[in-house]
Amino acid sequence: MNNIGIIISLVLIFGGLLWLLIRSIGGHEVDRRVIFLFIFLSVAAPVIFRITFQEKATPVVEALFDRIENLPPGSNVLLSFDFDPAMAPEVQPMANAISRHCLNNGYNVVFMSLWATGQSLMTTTLSRVILPEFPELVDGVDYINIGYKAGNEGVLNVIVSDFRKMFPTDVNSVPLDSTEIFKDIKSCADLDLIIALGGGRPGPKEWVLFVGDPADVPVGVGVAAVVAPQLYPYYPQQIVGILGGVKGAAEYEQELTSHHERFADMDTPGIDMMGPQTLAHVVIMAFIVIGNIVYFRSRGKGGKS
Amino acid sequence: MSRTAVIVFAIVVVLFAVSWVAKAVVLSDTSDSGTLDAFLVTVAAFLTLAIYSFLYKDNPYYKFAEHLFVGVSAAFWMCQGFWTTIVGNLLPRLSEGMANWFMQPYQPGGYDLGFLNLSYTVLYWIPVILGLLLLMRLSPKGGWLSRWPLALIIGTTAGLNFVRYLRSDFIVQVSSTFVPLLGQEPHQWQGIGAFFSNFSLDASGQFVALLANWVIFIGVFCGLVYFFFSKEHTGLFGRASRVGIWVLMITFGASFGYTVMGRISLLVGRLTFLFEDWLGLIT
Amino acid sequence: MRHLLKLVIVVVLLAWVSSPAQTDPPAEVDSVEVAEVTPPGPVTSLSVTDKDNDHGHATVLSWEASVDDSTGLANVISYEIFRWVPFAMDHVDSLRGQLSGLRAEIAAAEDVTDEMETRLDLLEAAFDAAIDNLPQAHGQYPQNGEWRSVGVVASGVTAYGNTGTKEPTSADYIPDYADLYYRVDAVTADPVVRTASEVYGPVQCYGQWFNTDRSPVLVAVLAFGFFTLLFVTLAKKGTDLYVRPLAGIEAVDDAIGRATEMGRPILYVLGLGSAADVATIASFTILGRVAKRVAEYQTALIVPTYEPIVMTVAQEVVKSSYLDAGRPDDFKEDTVFFVTQSQFAYVAAVNGIMLRELPATCIYMGKFFAESLILAETGALAGSIQIAGTDEIAQIPFFIVACDYTLIGEELYAASAYLGREPILLGSLKAQDYAKALVVAFSVIGLIFANLEWTWFVDLFHVAN
Repeated sequence: MNNIGIIISLVLIFGGLLWLLIRSIGGHEVDRRVIFLFIFLSVAAPVIFRITFQEKATPVVEALFDRIENLPPGSNVLLSFDFDPAMAPEVQPMANAISRHCLNNGYNVVFMSLWATGQSLMTTTLSRVILPEFPELVDGVDYINIGYKAGNEGVLNVIVSDFRKMFPTDVNSVPLDSTEIFKDIKSCADLDLIIALGGGRPGPKEWVLFVGDPADVPVGVGVAAVVAPQLYPYYPQQIVGILGGVKGAAEYEQELTSHHERFADMDTPGIDMMGPQTLAHVVIMAFIVIGNIVYFRSRGKGGKS
Repeated sequence: MSRTAVIVFAIVVVLFAVSWVAKAVVLSDTSDSGTLDAFLVTVAAFLTLAIYSFLYKDNPYYKFAEHLFVGVSAAFWMCQGFWTTIVGNLLPRLSEGMANWFMQPYQPGGYDLGFLNLSYTVLYWIPVILGLLLLMRLSPKGGWLSRWPLALIIGTTAGLNFVRYLRSDFIVQVSSTFVPLLGQEPHQWQGIGAFFSNFSLDASGQFVALLANWVIFIGVFCGLVYFFFSKEHTGLFGRASRVGIWVLMITFGASFGYTVMGRISLLVGRLTFLFEDWLGLIT
Repeated sequence: MRHLLKLVIVVVLLAWVSSPAQTDPPAEVDSVEVAEVTPPGPVTSLSVTDKDNDHGHATVLSWEASVDDSTGLANVISYEIFRWVPFAMDHVDSLRGQLSGLRAEIAAAEDVTDEMETRLDLLEAAFDAAIDNLPQAHGQYPQNGEWRSVGVVASGVTAYGNTGTKEPTSADYIPDYADLYYRVDAVTADPVVRTASEVYGPVQCYGQWFNTDRSPVLVAVLAFGFFTLLFVTLAKKGTDLYVRPLAGIEAVDDAIGRATEMGRPILYVLGLGSAADVATIASFTILGRVAKRVAEYQTALIVPTYEPIVMTVAQEVVKSSYLDAGRPDDFKEDTVFFVTQSQFAYVAAVNGIMLRELPATCIYMGKFFAESLILAETGALAGSIQIAGTDEIAQIPFFIVACDYTLIGEELYAASAYLGREPILLGSLKAQDYAKALVVAFSVIGLIFANLEWTWFVDLFHVAN
């Protein structure tokens, strides 16, 4: 059933593109709404019929995966959820995969957020991934959710030397001093790895500037695709690895499922999203070609006349 | 209101009602609050569609969704501001009574300068006063008072950022351009003969590693030349600046590609919601 | 009741003061002979210093390994570090426990009684006194104290950092300016068989005012400051500082003229940055110029803002531009207005304005994020001439493809200096130019040196923590 659906939609999309190409060579303009329709089809078909591809991790993703994989058990890892629902389709899959990875390897994981909207997304990860998949882990011992704090870079500037000044308690009003996990964590300098998930401001860059560099703590980032290119200059000296957009998430999920038996059947929203991505990119490239043909034709005509 | 508009509105209302009822029936099997959940999912789906309808053309449904979004988010941020900044950060340091009243943990503290003990209960009145001064904007006569807290905000942020950026974006980044141009571990330069006999386009090979380093060096050099404003871009300088703008444009192209991916992800996210959570086409 | 409490506390204090005299000094654990394992050679040349470049409360130990560490008998498996701790420290710990217990009790209490507050005051006073007494108690070495383990390192390791906290309320508190004494034991597989080193001390820890590891940052700050001051002074004196003309800026005047001819408004978007962002500050200058022209031509100006503080500043800027243009009465407060602080809600609102008002010109200057393309595309749809400028690298591509003119990155700052001709802006732009020249010079020199493997130059750029 799925295969028939895939074939029909591919025929529709590429047949349509060919027809548009012929029309545009004939001098007809393409309405922008037609482009929207094609993008819709190229995204909707793989979503419904589940077209997926095998991923291979690029060096920047592999670097972060290996860094996390090779930490000694009991390491302190901080995950900061600095994103909102608009970034969630890209960043939440990374957040889920990295949370799984860290908790599975026995690290102490601190969850926090610099974005008010990040707190509810953090709760989603905790209630849908951590609690059902890791029932054996204890809040306050293996992981802790210290929640959101207003103050943007100001918060980072304080926790780089003292967590408790900004977060006296966790999200459930339990004093940090009374938790097992915060016994050995006084400031960000006591963390073994920081994973900044986000893409806006404050976000990964602020983590590098205000915490990573001054406290000499390695920072890994999982970011929305839009800002990924801006973070490459910091790799590998100031950022240990970058997951850029849904492609980064998919590669990380692939690494995780292939390295850990336990996660072989886990949800892989990142990998699932790469099917629609690939088809949509092909369609966009086709439109770039069609657009250029129309452009050069009209220029050619203009030149002659 | 035209006749067509009324018919379209009626269709939308009927579709909404049908969706709500149908979803409630489906959800009632698994959830106690099926009717409410069905309403929420239907509202989310209709708002998504209302926003996407802008792609066809501007219309009242898009405007409704837009205004709703603006209103809701303004209220959301106002509440957030009050509960996270004033209640979350200020009151617990200002007064124990206030902290208890809002059921926040009291956060005493301060700085002992030896000759003077500045506790938070005293210190935190400064931001309170500055905040009130900022509100003086609303007063026609005392508006000028709001400039003082503004000056403080701009001054401190600039100062704080100056040192951080200088370190991370200047000193460390300059040292990041000190890349080996001839050979590095594990690819030591062993003469031109060895270079060509081991030539490979593999990503981990010597050629690609060296090429990357050359691109970094030339890219940084020419890019900076483009942004040098004190000299007319002519002659050799102009040529370097041309290379600079090319490097910039290639960077922007890569950036553009990344962004297209991001935008498609958002669309995938929304369509997955529509197909999975709303229509139940996929599980 | 209060008197009774005071009495109890005085008794407790007295009991503590007299207690050390009753305690015998503990026997030194030197080496214990056990038949099976021969005690290893001791650690030699132990030296303890204050940790450099910190806020105090920490020391650094280093030593030479025991002769039996991997050589000789090869029976050393670890080194255990001991610090001599006066019994006064136990008293501090006990008071600390009482204090936190009482604080918890007060926090949980329905209503706080005077009695509780008195107890708290007394206890706090006793705690402060005990902390103040610590340096003196350390001075009593070797009386009234004992050796306590502070850490263990594996054999082969010959250094240890004994880092405490500066907060007396923490159990890890190490007092500054107190005489500290250390010794290191070479430990064998049988933990009883060990050899202690000679005691090192006294040594004091204290904080430093300046972190020398961060000198490169100071040098950079001074260099930048020098350039800025120099060029601002030159600009103020009226020295002609050349800035090359920028295409985008020359287009602004034409665009305003076009709007006037068409009788349609000009939309000016300051972006999502805060008033402290350099891009927003540069944008204010350009807004000032645009507003002045708009006032002269009597065209309508719309400035929707994202941040309340930005709105406040923008209102000031536009107001003073109208004043400069000699038309203060034409200024309307609602030219500059606040929309919302939610990114996409803001964009949705601005898009709505564009399609309803159909501005002749849209100017986007400042910090932009994901909304850049949505804004620029809607502007193109509305048929506006569009001029953009931002230092957000990720957003420049969208502006380049969708706008008529784009100021790339620093060109935005340059435009602001070019238009404003204000000594401060012009001076800083010049200073930045020279800083860029420095970067190019450093990059080239550093690159050559790094390739020649002369690392001293590269090390100059190393900022430690």
